[in-house]
Amino acid sequence: MVVTQLALVANGYRDPHNYFAFQPFNESSTYAVELERVLPDGQRVPVPNGHWEGYDWDELIGWGPLRSPWRQRHAFSGVDAVVDFLDHALDWLADNTPGDTDTRYWEATVTYYRNARGPHATVVRSHDRELGGP
Amino acid sequence: MTAAVSSPSTADWRGRCQRWLGEVFDQPASVRGAAVLRIVLGPSVIWHLRPFLVDALNGITYHDRFQQPWWPWYPNAPDGLYVALLWIGVAAALLMTVGLWSRTATWAAFAVVAYNLFLSQTHFHHNRAFLVILLAGVALCDNGRVLSLDALRRPPSVDLGLVWPLWLLRFEAAVVYFASGFSKLIDPDWVGGRVLHDRAVRYQNEVRDALGDTLADPVLEVVTAQAFHWVLSPAAVATELFIAFGLWFRRTRLAAVWVAVAFHVGIEVSAHVQVFSVIAIGALALWAVPSTRDRTLVTPCRWVRWLDWLARFDITVAPGASWSMVDRDGTMLEGKAARQFVRTRLPATFLFSRFWRYR
Repeated sequence: MVVTQLALVANGYRDPHNYFAFQPFNESSTYAVELERVLPDGQRVPVPNGHWEGYDWDELIGWGPLRSPWRQRHAFSGVDAVVDFLDHALDWLADNTPGDTDTRYWEATVTYYRNARGPHATVVRSHDRELGGP
Repeated sequence: MTAAVSSPSTADWRGRCQRWLGEVFDQPASVRGAAVLRIVLGPSVIWHLRPFLVDALNGITYHDRFQQPWWPWYPNAPDGLYVALLWIGVAAALLMTVGLWSRTATWAAFAVVAYNLFLSQTHFHHNRAFLVILLAGVALCDNGRVLSLDALRRPPSVDLGLVWPLWLLRFEAAVVYFASGFSKLIDPDWVGGRVLHDRAVRYQNEVRDALGDTLADPVLEVVTAQAFHWVLSPAAVATELFIAFGLWFRRTRLAAVWVAVAFHVGIEVSAHVQVFSVIAIGALALWAVPSTRDRTLVTPCRWVRWLDWLARFDITVAPGASWSMVDRDGTMLEGKAARQFVRTRLPATFLFSRFWRYR
């Protein structure tokens, strides 16, 4: 157990989430997300305030660190952790919104300040959805 | 022919190692520290499960929201079973607190909290990881031998048990401080004050809301100054590292415990860390020497008996008598000195005592 714990602490310097590595308050970074739905014809549709096709981002994601990401937010556990979670959240969204028959995939442009340095930007996107035929 | 002869210092070192290993793995010692921690962990488990239960009462479970599984093979409980498990966790926590079927209850609470943590990576927080570790360690100890209904129902002759889990818990507790302190020490943004300064600037509105303009102005003038964080940040890092190492040595232990309590109170005031402050302060009980009633005390005050949660003293209450105490090494203290020493060894009065005089 001692060796496992020490290995997890060491792994925290590689893993963006530093699970079981006990590195709280590691960054003071902030981020904001521009969320878009990309339709089959390539058209990009912004998602103002996380509402689309009767869905609500905050209600679906329901997790504090990714709540209302279109506003400037503190990056819980650091920017890398948030971007990784956002990437998975978009995939989850793609799999769990059957009422949305238009969106081919989701794309999020993340603008962030790492410890007040920036802005920097990165883009994450969901996997492609299989849309039903006409 | 050559003979392998150990030098006296090598033999001495080897002997000390063997004695230490014997103490850790073979010799039973008091499990009272683990029992105190069990009592702290019980309500902490309920506090930890509360947001999940509130959601469940509103018909929401982790199935209804974004989740990020740790492993694809990890079993997902259906809604009804999941909610039932949460309530089982609450019941186990209550039993832990009062010490009824203590060990089984601690294992049950551990199982529920750990299962919930590993359902989704979004459930992870450092304080929850620490809670899981502490629950496992306390469950490994025979923690119901004292301070429990179990002990009242079937009084054990002694409060002794194997204490290797206690050493494991001490290691884990020290790792939490060390890992946190060391990661900040090697991060120039952290140790140089940039991280804390940026947070202070960003959250200054919350300080203003909490204190009001009149009080907030002078406070903010200090805490948003960059120079303040050039001092505060290295001091915070040094504090964590001091606690991590200071707890291991007899001469620095009391100081480390005192600093740790102040440190956690400071964090609790300035940040939302869920159950972390409470369980970390509770875990400090693990650093008490695992032997009980090995100092004799004569006192006129009945309250000492009520406050001696870690059973540091073999107490005789004699109305009208003056304070008199004999320490483990035979040192005798009388009157005010005895009273002051006792205060340094009682959890409730320790923080306000002159502990540095009686290390």
